[in-house]
Amino acid sequence: MKAGKRIALFFVPGLTLYAALFLYPTITGFYYSLTNWDGISPSYDFVGLSNYRELTEHIIFRKALVNNVKFMLFVVLVQTGLSLLLALRLARNTKRNVALRALYFVPTVLSSVSVALIWTFVFDPTQGLANGFLSGIGLGSWTQNWLGDTGLAIFSVAAVQAWAHIGQMVILFVAGLQAIPKELIEAARLDGAGALQIFRRVTWPLLAPAAALVVSYTTIQSFKAFDLIFTMTGGGPVYSTEILSTFIYNTAFSSYTFGLASAGSVFFLALIAVITYVQFRVIRADRVAY
Amino acid sequence: MQTLRYRSIPLAVMASAMLFLAACGNSGGANNAGGEAANSNAPAANAGNSGASADPVTISFLHWRGEDNAAFEAIIGQFEEAHPGVQVEMQVLPSDQYQQTAQAKLRDGASGDVFASFPGAQFEAIAKGGLYSDLTGAAWLSNFAPALIEAGQKDGKQLAVPYQLVYNMPIYNVKLFEKYGLTPPKDWDGFLAAAEKLKQEGIVPIAFPGADIGPGQFMNTMVMNNAPDLDIFRKVEAGEAKVTEDWWIKTLTQIKELNDKGYFQQDALGTKDQGAGALFAQEKAAILATGSYQLAQNKKNNPALVQGLLAPITVPADQAVYEGIHTTTFLLGVNSASKHPEEAKAFIEFLSGKDVAGQYANATGQNVTVKDVVYASEELKAVAEWTNKKTRFQPRFTLTDTENQKAVVSSIQAVLGGTDPKKAAEDAQAIIDQQLGK
Repeated sequence: MKAGKRIALFFVPGLTLYAALFLYPTITGFYYSLTNWDGISPSYDFVGLSNYRELTEHIIFRKALVNNVKFMLFVVLVQTGLSLLLALRLARNTKRNVALRALYFVPTVLSSVSVALIWTFVFDPTQGLANGFLSGIGLGSWTQNWLGDTGLAIFSVAAVQAWAHIGQMVILFVAGLQAIPKELIEAARLDGAGALQIFRRVTWPLLAPAAALVVSYTTIQSFKAFDLIFTMTGGGPVYSTEILSTFIYNTAFSSYTFGLASAGSVFFLALIAVITYVQFRVIRADRVAY
Repeated sequence: MQTLRYRSIPLAVMASAMLFLAACGNSGGANNAGGEAANSNAPAANAGNSGASADPVTISFLHWRGEDNAAFEAIIGQFEEAHPGVQVEMQVLPSDQYQQTAQAKLRDGASGDVFASFPGAQFEAIAKGGLYSDLTGAAWLSNFAPALIEAGQKDGKQLAVPYQLVYNMPIYNVKLFEKYGLTPPKDWDGFLAAAEKLKQEGIVPIAFPGADIGPGQFMNTMVMNNAPDLDIFRKVEAGEAKVTEDWWIKTLTQIKELNDKGYFQQDALGTKDQGAGALFAQEKAAILATGSYQLAQNKKNNPALVQGLLAPITVPADQAVYEGIHTTTFLLGVNSASKHPEEAKAFIEFLSGKDVAGQYANATGQNVTVKDVVYASEELKAVAEWTNKKTRFQPRFTLTDTENQKAVVSSIQAVLGGTDPKKAAEDAQAIIDQQLGK
């Protein structure tokens, strides 16, 4: 066997897994999006693009899309901003910094359902820690109906999402920061640049690959934040925390309209692909050069 | 070593092929919507005392009541003793996942020879998918109270038998009511006066789990006399009635009134089932807006509690048609793709015996639909008294489209969140209209 063919064999396991776990479900999902299958009956009809048309007029789908954008923006801004600040403080490999990085990373290894259950108790309006703490320090007027207020609930869940993943993003940013050659920072400092200028002109541009990774990963993660929402609010109250993934799930498994749910999934796939592409273009992760 | 390796290749291929064929054999049932016909040749003798000579048969029992495991295990032991050669394997899924995942498991017949389902949307979906065997004409159906197994009927066929009887009406603390000289009110003014008295005494009148089950439970008693028509929600789904009409606006307005007057605990919309249950068990609240299924848990949390059921009457006493709400649930059915339908039916028949049903009821604290059962606990006896009162089937479950059900329940959450009842009803109707237009 020629070397080329032998090497090609190494691609087979990965390609097989990719085809079985990604390509096949994607193609099947697209196929079912053109049908009116209810998920149970053995037969179904082809309905063309009517599921996609229905989706554009669907009241709950629209709400879910708007909620998802709110959720995503909050998580991306808060998670990226805080993790960057923490990473700048913890970039040096001192014992204290390594310990703190590990501490911040702990929520990431917890099951998201456990995280959701813990925070559901924390947010309980009458017996929860959050309001109890605020009342305890004399800030009783700041207490909130964290998960019961239709205007606030989506941000309460988004805050939990950010809390759970900031540690992970800190690690990515620290890796990015440590990859920046020290000479460049020193040269800028010798040229008289201040801390803010060094960050703007040297650190941030060179951190772009890590930032692009963090932002795109956070975006995808926030679109997929199914388990937190499902456990904490179930999409309520009054659809105020319904996002695309819970909409797809409910449409498929509660309303038994797999065709419509599949159309939602295809839309979801396209949306994430477009957003990720745009983010990479905007952050220009590919133009970093030392 | 090399030889052994080469020899093992055909063996591995054969084993894989056998596994593949076995898998195909199982999945063949998935396409067999009329699986019952294919199974009709199953020997009926197997269902009974087939003796040790017959091949042992294992049937799967799929349900969501993890808390009933011990009770079912004891009953299964007795069934296996009475039916040598038949074994029952219990498979329990969490109730919140059951609605979503049961159907997938049932489709190939490998799980759930006997399975439980919820009335309403899930029953309709499974019936539409042809997954129920027809139980019509089975002699043991006479063990059940006829009116209580109607939720398992469709197109004149008995597709499933509801096993549990639940009263979806608020629970009240009898001792607290007595302490403050209150009796269950007979009309809306009386209900408001009782709530006000409790509030003045520093007790939360109603613990309301507004974040999850509260709205879906409380709406039933609130609407039962505002819209006495048993088919009102069926008419809504058929486009013959609207939730923007007076009966629903009045229901929403009355719920809003309870909230605005502070008769629910603070921030009721953010309180979950456990939180509201804790308020009631700790006797900080006098009424818990859930249902009879919570009685046993409350008693476990506070053995000193004396509990009763109380439905808010939303109209003047002389206009009240119904006294409460019942639901027959835990619908037991036989999977049409089952390879052992006779054994599966024999298991349901065994469960329908009044002694076995009584054993289940007393072990789990759940009332049952089987006739002449003797209940042991005070709570079960208190609930059983309601069988003599005028109750109606849970209106929420007559909404068979989940989107519609969610829209109606959400309109209650909306008014609790401050939305005007009329606007909340219009928003719900918009979603119902969208479903109607499909």
